[in-house]
Amino acid sequence: MKRTKRAFGFLAMMVLIASLVACGGKTSNDSADSGSDSPKTSDGTEKQAKISLFQSKVEIAEALEKLANKYKEETGNEIEVWGSAGDAYMTQLQAKLAAKEGPTIFSVASGAETEKFKSYYYDMSNEDYVKNIAPHMALEVDGKIVGVPTGVEGFGLVYNKSLVDPKDVTDLASFTKTMESMKAKGINGLSLSQEAYFLVGHILNTPFALQADPQAFIEKLNKGEVKMADTKEFQEFAKFMEVIKKDSVNPMEVTYDTQMGDFATGKTAMVHQGNWSYGMLADYDNLDIGMMPLPIAGNNKLSVDIPGGWVINNGAKPEEIKAANAFLNWLYTSETGKNAIVKEFKFIPAMTNIEADGLDPLSQAVFEATKSGQTIPWAMNHFPEGIIVNDLTPVTADFFLNANMTGEQYLKNLDAAWAKAAK
Amino acid sequence: MKRKDKFWFGLFTMPLFIIFTTVVIIPFIIGVAYSFISWDGIASNPKVFVGLDNYVTIFHDERFFSSARHTLEFTLLALVSVNLLGLAFSLLVTNGLRTSKLARTFFFMPNLIGGLILGYIWKFIFTDGFKFLGGKTGLEEIFFNWLISPRFALYALVIVFTWQMAGYTMIIYIAGIQGIPDELLEAAKVDGANWWHRLTKITFPLLMPSFTICLFMTLSGAFKIYDVNLSLTNGGPVHSTEMFAMNIFNEIFGYGRYGVGQAKAILFFLIVALVTLTQVIITKKKEVQM
Repeated sequence: MKRTKRAFGFLAMMVLIASLVACGGKTSNDSADSGSDSPKTSDGTEKQAKISLFQSKVEIAEALEKLANKYKEETGNEIEVWGSAGDAYMTQLQAKLAAKEGPTIFSVASGAETEKFKSYYYDMSNEDYVKNIAPHMALEVDGKIVGVPTGVEGFGLVYNKSLVDPKDVTDLASFTKTMESMKAKGINGLSLSQEAYFLVGHILNTPFALQADPQAFIEKLNKGEVKMADTKEFQEFAKFMEVIKKDSVNPMEVTYDTQMGDFATGKTAMVHQGNWSYGMLADYDNLDIGMMPLPIAGNNKLSVDIPGGWVINNGAKPEEIKAANAFLNWLYTSETGKNAIVKEFKFIPAMTNIEADGLDPLSQAVFEATKSGQTIPWAMNHFPEGIIVNDLTPVTADFFLNANMTGEQYLKNLDAAWAKAAK
Repeated sequence: MKRKDKFWFGLFTMPLFIIFTTVVIIPFIIGVAYSFISWDGIASNPKVFVGLDNYVTIFHDERFFSSARHTLEFTLLALVSVNLLGLAFSLLVTNGLRTSKLARTFFFMPNLIGGLILGYIWKFIFTDGFKFLGGKTGLEEIFFNWLISPRFALYALVIVFTWQMAGYTMIIYIAGIQGIPDELLEAAKVDGANWWHRLTKITFPLLMPSFTICLFMTLSGAFKIYDVNLSLTNGGPVHSTEMFAMNIFNEIFGYGRYGVGQAKAILFFLIVALVTLTQVIITKKKEVQM
C-alpha cells in the first residue's frame, strides 16, 4: 500500500516536472519562431526568412494578402500580413515594438510620426529599390533614406457628377446655396463620417495648409503665439462647418461604410474623402465621380502628399532584414509587384519606374493635380502626436451634437484643446 | 499540518506560484518603478526619473477625474441592476417552472460572448435598431441613438454590462439557493410564514456568501471594464463614457506618456483594492452560519 502511494507520488512529480519543462521549452520556441524557418536552402534558389508586415490602411488589407500569396508562388518566400487596424494602428504598433515583437516591415506616416519612431529604422540608403523613388518623395531622417513611399495620396471633395457641378462649389456662398438646394431635394449635400480623420482630421488640414508656412504656423500654435480663432482661414473653415452642421445628416450618425454606401447610391452628393475611398465605390458601374478642392478661403487645390511609407525594423534579425529588403525590391521592381501597387492597391506611384496608367477617376484627379502642381501639403502630419484622435475629434463631436454651439465657439474650443494637448 | 503534507502542498502550489509571480507580482513591481519616471515609450529614448511628479500631474488632470466620476456612476448603476436582475432570474428559475432549464441557458448565454463582440452587437442595436423602433412606434423620446448622446451613452453601457453579467451572477445565486435546506423553508411554511417573510428572513440571510461573491465580482468587473467600453462607445461621445481603464490606456498610448499612465494605473489599483476589500469585509460580517 505504502509503496503504491510512494510510486504514485513519484509519478505525479515526474509529470509536473515534465510539464514545466515542456512549458519552458515552448515559450523559448515561440520567441524564436518568427525567424527560425532559417535560410538553409532546400532547392536551388535562395530561401529567405519568413517576415511580417504591419500597415495602417484598411483599404488595401485584402489586396496585400493576395500579394503575399503571389510572392510565395513566385519566389517561394513567405510574408505574413498582420491585420490592419485603422485608427488603432499607432497604439498597436507602439505596443508591439515596445514588447520587442515588432513587425519586420511596417508603415509610418510622414512628418511627426516618422520622427517619432526614428530609432527603429533600418538605413536603406544603399538598397537598389530606393534609386527609383521620385525626387523628394522618400522618407528621410538625418539625411538617410529610411522609408519607401507607398504612393501619393490626395483628398478633397469627392462628388457625384450627376448631382453636383464643381462650378457651384467655389466659395462659401455658392457652397451654402448648393447645400440648401440639395437639402430641399432630399439629398444629403456633404457627408462627413464619425471616424476621427474623416470627421475632422482631413478637413481641418485645408486651413492649415493654406498658411504661408504651415509647419511654422503649427509651431506657433504649439507655443500659444497664434490662435485659430484669430486666423482668417480658420474662421472661414468654421463657417463651412456651420453649414455642414445645419444642412447635412449629423456626421456622428454616419460611419465610413454608410458614408460611402450613401454616396454610391446617390443619397449623398459629396463626401470629403480621398482617392483611397475608390475601393469602396469600384463596384458601382453607373457612378460618375470626380474630386474637387474644398473651397475654403478661395482654395482651388487638392491636398496631396505622400501619406507615409514602408520602413524596415532595425530590431529584426539580420536574415529578416535581408528578406525584407528582398521583398521591397520585388514589390517595387517586379512586374507583379508594380502591377499590384497600381491596380490592386490603387496607389498613385511615387516611383519613377512605375507607370501610372489606367488609374481610377479619383486617383486620376490627384495624379493630374500633382503633375500641374495644383496641390497643398498635408500639414496634419506635423500636428502633435495623437491630437486628432484624442483632442480635436471630441471637440468636433461636441460641435455636431450640441445644436447651440456656434462656429466661433467651436474654434475657441479647438484652440483650448490644442493648448492642452501641445503642452 | 504534518510535515509530509506540507511538502506535497508546497510542491503542488509551486507551478501556480511561479506563474503568478512572473505574470503578476514582478510586472507589478516594475510598474511601480515606471510610475516614477518620464518616458514616451520609444526604447531608445531616455527614461528620466521625476520622483512624484507623475502623481502630482494626475491631480491636475480634469479628464482623469471626470473619468473617475463616470466610473463611479457606472459601477453603482451596474451593481444594482446586475444583482437585482441576477437574483430575480435565480428566484425565477428555482421556482420549479417547467421551462426553468431553458431559461437558465438563455439567461447565461450572453456571458459566453466576448465583451468586444457584445459591444459591437449592441452598437448595432442602439444605432440602427433603436432608430428603427423609434420610427415605427413614434416613441422617439426613448428610442433614438443612445450612443451619440453624452447623457444616455453611459446608460447604454450599463444595459450591455447588465446583459452580460446578470446571467453569471444568477448561476452563483442559484448555487446559494440550492444550498438552503428544504426543511427550513417547509418548517417556516408550516409555521405560517408567507413568501415575503421566507425570502427576507431565511433565504437572504443564508444567501449572504453568494452576495459577497456576486457583489465583489460586479464591483471589480465594473471598475475594470474596458472591452465593452471600447467596442460600444470608445469613450465617446466627447469623453462622456471614458472609464478608468480607458483613460489610462489613452494616457499611455494616445499621448505616449508612459510614466503618468503608469502612475494612474497604480492609483487605480489602490482604489479598486480599497473599494472591493471594504465591500468584502462588510458583507462577510453579515454572513450567518446555520
